[in-house]
Amino acid sequence: MSNSRKINKKDIGRLLSQWSQEFTVFVPSRENGIAMWAKWDGKDTSFLDWYRNTVVPAKACFLPSQEKMFSFQKQSAGYNVEPPSMNGQQRLLFGIRPCDARALALIDMTFKDTYEDPYYISKRNNTILVGLGCTNPCDSCFCVSLKISPSESNDVDLMLTDIGDQLCLEAVTDKGKRLMENAQGLEEVAKTDETKLVKAKEAPFWKVSRRINTENIKERLLSSFDDKEYWEKVAAKCVSCGVCTFLCPTCHCFDINDELTKKQGARFRSWDSCSFSTYTKMPMENPREEKWHRVRQKVCHKYEFYPMNFGAIACTGCGRCIRLCPVNWDITQVLSKLPAKV
Amino acid sequence: MEQKLRHEAKALFEHGRVDYIIGFEPGSLKFATTPLITRNKDDVERLVINPFIVNNLSLYLPRIEGRVGIVVKGCDSRSIVSLIQDNKVDRENVVIIAVPCQGLIDLNKIESLAGKDRDELEDITRHGDKVTVASDGAKKVFPATEVLFDKCLGCEFPTPQEYDVLLDEPATSFADKEASQKKLEELEKMTPEQRWQFWEKEFSRCIRCYACRNVCPVCFCERCFVEESEPQWVLPVPRWQDNLIFQIIRNIHVAGRCTDCGECERACPMGIPLRSLTRKMYELVGELFQYKAGTDKEAAPLLTAYEFDEANDFIR
Amino acid sequence: MKGMTDISRRKKFLAQGNVYLPHIAVIEKIIEETPTVRTLHFNFKDEKLRKEFTFESGQFAELSILGTGEATFCITSSPTRNGHLECAVNKVGKVTNALHRLGVGTEIGFRGPFGNSFPFDFMQGKNLVFVGGGIGLAPLRSVIWNVLDNRAQYKNIQLIYGARTPTDLCFKYDLDTWGKDKTVNMVTTVDRGDKDWTGRVGLVPHVLEQVAPSAQNAVAIVCGPPIMIRFTFPALAKLGFTPEQIVTTLEKRMKCGIGKCGRCNIGNIYVCRDGPVFTYAQIKNFISSEY
Repeated sequence: MSNSRKINKKDIGRLLSQWSQEFTVFVPSRENGIAMWAKWDGKDTSFLDWYRNTVVPAKACFLPSQEKMFSFQKQSAGYNVEPPSMNGQQRLLFGIRPCDARALALIDMTFKDTYEDPYYISKRNNTILVGLGCTNPCDSCFCVSLKISPSESNDVDLMLTDIGDQLCLEAVTDKGKRLMENAQGLEEVAKTDETKLVKAKEAPFWKVSRRINTENIKERLLSSFDDKEYWEKVAAKCVSCGVCTFLCPTCHCFDINDELTKKQGARFRSWDSCSFSTYTKMPMENPREEKWHRVRQKVCHKYEFYPMNFGAIACTGCGRCIRLCPVNWDITQVLSKLPAKV
Repeated sequence: MEQKLRHEAKALFEHGRVDYIIGFEPGSLKFATTPLITRNKDDVERLVINPFIVNNLSLYLPRIEGRVGIVVKGCDSRSIVSLIQDNKVDRENVVIIAVPCQGLIDLNKIESLAGKDRDELEDITRHGDKVTVASDGAKKVFPATEVLFDKCLGCEFPTPQEYDVLLDEPATSFADKEASQKKLEELEKMTPEQRWQFWEKEFSRCIRCYACRNVCPVCFCERCFVEESEPQWVLPVPRWQDNLIFQIIRNIHVAGRCTDCGECERACPMGIPLRSLTRKMYELVGELFQYKAGTDKEAAPLLTAYEFDEANDFIR
Repeated sequence: MKGMTDISRRKKFLAQGNVYLPHIAVIEKIIEETPTVRTLHFNFKDEKLRKEFTFESGQFAELSILGTGEATFCITSSPTRNGHLECAVNKVGKVTNALHRLGVGTEIGFRGPFGNSFPFDFMQGKNLVFVGGGIGLAPLRSVIWNVLDNRAQYKNIQLIYGARTPTDLCFKYDLDTWGKDKTVNMVTTVDRGDKDWTGRVGLVPHVLEQVAPSAQNAVAIVCGPPIMIRFTFPALAKLGFTPEQIVTTLEKRMKCGIGKCGRCNIGNIYVCRDGPVFTYAQIKNFISSEY
């Protein structure tokens, strides 16, 4: 515990100001009531009292909803390609929840595999993560079933735990250690604080009421793969929009499109969703024309295919999909109804 | 009403009058409800009616094959009429089970008034024009006008006009048109530059999830204009200009069909006030054509029907 | 299965270290194969890249018209014949329509080579049965020339190729050459002849059953439209080919080409990263429901 310090919540503003000199600091902030990640305005730290996670997950800071890949200029019969400037802007994400941080580690597996994705990787390398443990999990949270605790610190550089009017800080990586060593306003941790810390880390685990059984989920899904009747029932109320996938912290499918106006053009990438009907559309046929194919793909990609490829379930139980779905489609209900036999 | 609904739904199955029942059942989150689409007569016991039955279930009708018994509120039933006008739904194949609606409770409004997340509340009940919110053993009472959805405050047809089964006595609404259009009124007071800035800020948040389009019952195109690549009308990239154009064109496409059910705004995860656009279009359609969508199933669809001797002085 | 080399060990030709940046290539020659298919011969603008570039039969490239878009094309030329690269373009959408409007001398973007290759190790010393339909001959062409340029390494070569009508036959100049090659058993067929057609008439799977190549020490290499594939696989099974003896190359909607954007998956396999060349054994769990 000698690695930990504490700070008064009312001094967080000063700490962020100090860090703002070295990093561009991002915090959860609300726009028209919708919580998203945005540059810290220099004043507001009310997000420390929010229980609910942001609507837009932290993945948007690394895989933005739209991104220019490169620009180009058209010249007579040819082009001049202008590579993107991947500026080394050092960033600090303050207050990322364990589910969102684990999700980044899951997306890393795809974006580092075989060919490195330079846009995503450079942003990951330039960003330091300061995590914040949860105190009041929502009824849509089910992180615990995915082997993530609401006080999980493995995926951040510096971890904060709420112990009342104060936050406890613990370094996880060397980056986090250096951050803590130079931080202003930190106090020593007393014996009573250590007790509070242990309690604060344990309590939220038991508050997570939504649980699913992920035992043999890969095999259970494989055995139900061709059960058309089951999947049609599951897919009946889905409206094939992109809410669940876009706001899921582990979903990372994207589309690539070009634009050219007069002589200037660019190639963009933007979020895409396997729920959309044209996602896999080819000129002569569409393998997932029917809705139940698409719904099955979404569930199986997260709970069967990703584990087959990378050994981990591509879901962190953040519950956004359940909370924000316009028809309250619930993946935990779908998974719990799966045949229990393998 | 619930008992009557379950009884009627079961009877429809038993007499072989429907293949499907579409209604509401309890959702998986506190206070939430979710669509129930079933062929199984035992499932009717799960049907509910409460102030949280927000979905416009008529959106499922064009894509379902067979005869359907569907539970609708006043606003939803008008969407069915719009669909009948467009030949997307056969009146013979639908049994409309009408819910006279006193208005739906907006959980976002409850949360900001009560100062708590919905997870922390124990109970929300409506008694006439009051709503009681219970949490931590204490009760707070709010006027219903402060917690109902904006659209419900000005509801013109709380009881479905087109129906087969009516579940209760006709309902009354507050019929406060001004209150239901508060946001639109604020926009009308702005200058065009201010309005432009307002929408630029709002649509910068849009992520093009198409929830608005997909929950809309009258957005029934097999292939939406945004899915065209030759020509590429709008890029899928969610820049605010593209997002604004998408929404404007969508509004033009549903003009005369949109009944201001407000689902687009409710479904939007980014809190964009879409109803300010749809409501404006609804008002324009009323002014220009003296037409209210979804009120007459025999009427020709507004902008797709053409009379030879129609006025054409606007063509210059 | 041996021969499907691990692509992580393949040579990568990245423009400025960024896998998403295209190299610029210039169109040197255009051959109009059919009313909807043209072959582009092109070469890289950069001298160094032109000399160093290699690929393996079966791999594909992402060609782009900057400003219009990018699309996936298998490289139809064989790596045994250097000098330029060839791709066949079928006119089916925005990008391909635009590629059909380009002339010699225009520049296009090139990203690649991506994907895996045909299992030449596995094919060594075996009888090869190529079954192609329509534009499905395009990816097979690279293999066929590769094999013919190393003829001694393989036993019998049976080629069965068909198209809907005589005008739809692709690479007619190659069909001619292969027909004249005494070491190749070439069978060309059409679904429907025209007034000048004197050759065979019949659907490819039927002709396959008629030709009845032996499955003994053989590998079947198949490519064509899904409808042809659906009937060819059972026909090969009837002839005694096991799923491990049948090799095919699949086509899916692709964008990134490197297994990141997610859309080309069949089950846990990404066609762009784990394919596009597969044995039937690798994909038969998912192919009926997803393809």
